[in-house]
Amino acid sequence: MNMIAREVETQMSKGGEGAGIVISGRGVGKTFANGAVVALEGASFDIPKGDFVSLVGPSGCGKSTLLRMVAGLIERTAGTLTVHGEPVKGPRRDVGLMFQKATLLDWRTSLENVLLPTEMVRKPTKADEEEAIELLNMVGLKDFVFSFPSQLSGGMQQRVALARLLKTGADILLLDEPFGALDEFTRERLNIELMRIVAEVKATTLFVTHNIGEAIFLADKVMVMTPRPGRLAKMVEVPFARPRPAELQLTPEFNALVAEVRDILGTH
Amino acid sequence: MTPEGARLKWRRRGNHAAIFLGLMALWQTGSWTGFLDPLFFPAPLDILASFWRIYVTQGNIWYHLYVSLGLVLAGFTMGSILGVGLGAVVGMNATVRRFLQPYVIVLEATPRIAVAPLLIAALGFGPQSKIAIIMLVCFFAPFINTLSGVLNVNRDRMELMRSLGASKMQVLRKLVLPDAIPVIMAGERLAMTSALSGVLVAEFIQRDQGIGALILTYTRNLNMASAFACILTLTAIGFLIFKGMEMVDHHVAYWKNEAGLKRMTEKRARAFAARRGGLAHA
Repeated sequence: MNMIAREVETQMSKGGEGAGIVISGRGVGKTFANGAVVALEGASFDIPKGDFVSLVGPSGCGKSTLLRMVAGLIERTAGTLTVHGEPVKGPRRDVGLMFQKATLLDWRTSLENVLLPTEMVRKPTKADEEEAIELLNMVGLKDFVFSFPSQLSGGMQQRVALARLLKTGADILLLDEPFGALDEFTRERLNIELMRIVAEVKATTLFVTHNIGEAIFLADKVMVMTPRPGRLAKMVEVPFARPRPAELQLTPEFNALVAEVRDILGTH
Repeated sequence: MTPEGARLKWRRRGNHAAIFLGLMALWQTGSWTGFLDPLFFPAPLDILASFWRIYVTQGNIWYHLYVSLGLVLAGFTMGSILGVGLGAVVGMNATVRRFLQPYVIVLEATPRIAVAPLLIAALGFGPQSKIAIIMLVCFFAPFINTLSGVLNVNRDRMELMRSLGASKMQVLRKLVLPDAIPVIMAGERLAMTSALSGVLVAEFIQRDQGIGALILTYTRNLNMASAFACILTLTAIGFLIFKGMEMVDHHVAYWKNEAGLKRMTEKRARAFAARRGGLAHA
């Protein structure tokens, strides 16, 4: 890394932490196949502590790419990206990730799946078990602590994955269309529970989706992204107070915001 | 079961028994009338008498069974442990895999039995070369299956482990190996069947002792009824091995069958309760 870049990152880390910025990107870009495919270009953003931010856009807008870069799973090819003021170099224990698929281990019970993140650091204690059961309780799986994934429905499997994510103790949660594979009723119910839980654990959350209504309903800010090449088109503030009832989605104000986001996606 | 169902079950069993006895009677009659050559089709009653002789009055088969099954156990254990171990190492290491692959393909295309005489030449007559032959026929199925099990780990799960900051060892122990267990077990089942054939080949070549040598001796003496009794013994052993491996499979790959899942759910709940001093249901 050259001197200037290091200096910029140092400044940003100081400024970032001071202003309560948890995730910060400056000109973040990603190209694949030696630059032949541009997945994301020039994304700059600041995400304050405790914010729920949705990333919305059509396929190919680079939203999952951006999320995976924040997670440290893929390397950026341009720009600076910091988490808690430190440049992202790889997966971090204070950043937790949840996928569209529950990705549970079939041979483990719900409890054992939730304890997996802990096992990476230490042998789980009774207190860890206690906490895991409490988390399963929180996601509504009190009676399925000793069930195996194949005995659970898709929605229940995602609940286990959510409990596992929370057991990492990460204060930054990255969710990549976490309920995208579920039916609409289940998804809506889980979204509302997710809002409640995230508020309870006071986590900073990045939520990837291609559903505009869902993006707005859940978030404090919506990062609207456009494809070819993937770009961050606009950061839209969501003004609605919390807690938000499901009926909010029927109000004219809500739909006006949906129309605004749709406009941004359409005109770019 | 309802009395109706029980009656049906016994009637079916009765039918099977009747058909079997009918066939045996036909066979027996064929031998008596000279229609069937007793050299190729020894009469059922003669086979029965042979069973009685080799197991009870003469009792000579026990020793040979003991020798053969001991060799099977030794060869199978060593061959399959070697297969699983090497499969895991080769699967986890791309460099080793690249250099080993051509040899594996060449060896896999070679009929293993063809190497048996070479093994005897190298190791000499005796149990060591027999065990080596069994190891050789037992090695490949577990090796190939472990290798493919390790290589075909679900990408999402791999990414999950990475995002959790897992070390290479943790990935192997907590994801790759447990994930590969069902396919490894399929390899072990194949290996066990091969082991039984392997010991027979080894004993056909070195016909000093063992069930293979016994079959060879009986056929050379044209004592076909006793040879048949030995073969039927092997049928029974093969069946028991198959059932036994199935049981082991259901046990270690418990998440692949309903009964296993149910059993483990209860077991985990009980273990948890025991850790809490019996307060789980509170």
